[in-house]
Amino acid sequence: MPAILVIDDSEVIRNLLSDYLTELGHQVDLASDGQQGVEMALQGEYRIVFCDIHMPKKNGWEVYQEVSKIKTQLAFVMTDSLPDELAKMAQEAGARRCLRKPFDLSEVRETVEQILSPAETR
Amino acid sequence: MNLFGMLRAMSLRTKVVLPVSALLIVVILSISILLIRQQATGFRRELETTGETMVRMLAINVESGVLFESKYELEEAMNVLKRFDVVEYASVANNDGEVLAEIGDWLDDYSELSISVIEKNQSTHRDCEHYHIENPHGQEFIELIVPITSRIEQLDRETLGITGFGRALDPAVFTERIGSVRLILSLETVNVAIAEAQKTVMTLTAVVLILSLMILTSFVRFFTRPIRKLVEATDQIGRGDFSRKVDIVQQDEIGQLAATFNRMVDSLKQSRDEIENYNRTLEEKIIERTLELEEAQAQLIQSEKLSAIGQLAAGVAHELNNPLGGILGYTQFALEKLSKVDPEAVKTDDIASYIRYLTDVESQARRCKTIVQNLLRFSRSSRTSELDEVDINRIIDDTCAFVGHQLSMNQIELIVEKQDNLPVIHGNASQLQQVFTNLIINAMHASPPNTRIKLVSRLSPALGEFGGAVEILCVDQGVGMPKEDVKRIFEPFFTTKEVGKGTGLGLSVSYGIIREHGGEIKVDSAPGKGTTFTIILPVQKPATGSDTQSKDFPAATMRKSD
Ligand SMILES: Nc1ncnc2c1ncn2[C@@H]1O[C@H](COP(=O)(O)OP(=O)(O)OP(=O)(O)O)[C@@H](O)[C@H]1O
Ligand SMILES: [Mg+2]
Repeated sequence: MPAILVIDDSEVIRNLLSDYLTELGHQVDLASDGQQGVEMALQGEYRIVFCDIHMPKKNGWEVYQEVSKIKTQLAFVMTDSLPDELAKMAQEAGARRCLRKPFDLSEVRETVEQILSPAETR
Repeated sequence: MNLFGMLRAMSLRTKVVLPVSALLIVVILSISILLIRQQATGFRRELETTGETMVRMLAINVESGVLFESKYELEEAMNVLKRFDVVEYASVANNDGEVLAEIGDWLDDYSELSISVIEKNQSTHRDCEHYHIENPHGQEFIELIVPITSRIEQLDRETLGITGFGRALDPAVFTERIGSVRLILSLETVNVAIAEAQKTVMTLTAVVLILSLMILTSFVRFFTRPIRKLVEATDQIGRGDFSRKVDIVQQDEIGQLAATFNRMVDSLKQSRDEIENYNRTLEEKIIERTLELEEAQAQLIQSEKLSAIGQLAAGVAHELNNPLGGILGYTQFALEKLSKVDPEAVKTDDIASYIRYLTDVESQARRCKTIVQNLLRFSRSSRTSELDEVDINRIIDDTCAFVGHQLSMNQIELIVEKQDNLPVIHGNASQLQQVFTNLIINAMHASPPNTRIKLVSRLSPALGEFGGAVEILCVDQGVGMPKEDVKRIFEPFFTTKEVGKGTGLGLSVSYGIIREHGGEIKVDSAPGKGTTFTIILPVQKPATGSDTQSKDFPAATMRKSD
């Protein structure tokens, strides 16, 4: 089962994504800030990363840049509460999607399914 | 004042005129005195020469008269002398001193010194005695005495045929003194002539002196006048009047000096005008710049306001979206799960997880409520509200009562130093209490146990323009803040505290409240050393109306100290 990493400084969002994705049958790991997120993403074997933009220590764009350099196959889903330059930059650079908070769970499922579908070449 | 001092104090003209005229007087006077002297001696000599000629002639003419002792012949010979005014007395005497004939009156009285010999001159001829005498009346005379000689003996020998004696005899040997002629001439006329001459010379001297002094002064004036002009012009320029020119049309050094001076004045005037011009343009520039700055500042305040509103909106969205995301997500999750579940076969595990979801939903909804409430507080505080007269020390007491329990729970000591008789402030007591409470709670959060927080109220040395001000200080010994944080603490939603402990609105609300009071809030902090917040509140009531207010007390007065 491919693992998913959730990086977010908001506890409730981490818990929600953890509960929901586990329910869907995925293995979920959690990181509460950008620095921790980078470390875990580089060490672990993940298929998808949910990454918040506004975080202490390292923001989402920095995390994306550092990780995607090395793990080119890793799919990034950016989460953000505001339309932000950083999110746009990440998407243009190759992030798969940007979910605007507060997001619907259906959006989360669709995104995950899309990424993991056999049609997906990456 | 000594001589040198006097000399230094004299004007240039006096300095030149005084010594030169003194020299002139000395020279001219000595020349005239010399002239008079020479004139006098000349006159006397002339008289003496005339007298000598007369007396000699007489001596020759009276020879036979003496020999024959013929009074008639003698008087005949002497009568000629009567024609001369100068002849005072003449006498012929024989060798025994017996006066044979005389003209005029003369009284010899040497013994009583009534006639004094002024001088005895050696005449050109040795045989002529020559005296200068003065009688008791102060009249001066010249006395001449010449011997009368006779060659009769020689003649006698010739007649007696002694010539036949071989060799010829020297006739002088036979010259014999037979008496003497005495002539006294009055010096009166000569002296009168001398006096006359003296007078002439003196008048001439005086005239020459006066004339030369006049010429000298005008000459000197001719030289000093341009200098005086220069001095006057310099004086005038010294008093700032550059209009004056020196009009000296001379080709000499003084003329050159004047021309140079005029040029100098011109360039001086020019540079002064330039400076004045600079000053004026500088003033204008300063006014211009000030206006520009004011405009720029107004714009800055405007844009700051806008960005503050933008920031606020962004902050609100950011703060609310996470809890809302939680609420939305968990509700959807629960609904999704429940829709699949068989109501008959609900497991206790499931119920437990539903309870957990709902608890999260509740706490997130609560968080949203807190944020909205704080936001309302913030927006209310930035609206103008009625200001009353408030006593800062009372508010401090109320605040301490409110937070005292929390502080002691955290083992933090609160020290309050209130200055008595502080002036009353026009303010809103509950708003100010909110500000102070937030300061103390912030300090408490930053302070480790067993440290102190000091709250001070006192008369502010600053802000005299408001007619006095009160200062409130909140000093802690806590963790402090790095510079980057200090810059941001007044931003809405800026917080370093964990979720649930702070919304980051406390200081931005305080900022608004203090600004509304026309005061300022400053912070001084260093990591590890502690933090001091200073609030300055003016005593006078600030202008009301949010528009004028932001103009009178622009954001700049609220310094985000770094
Ligand atoms: N005395 C202090 N010492 C150190 N840091 C402070 C102090 N006061 C304020 N701060 C910093 O400034 C931030 C903003 O303070 P502010 O009062 O605006 O918000 P808050 O205290 O975090 O939340 P709220 O006041 O809304 O409950 C704080 O999170 C803290 O990091
Ligand atoms: Mg606070």
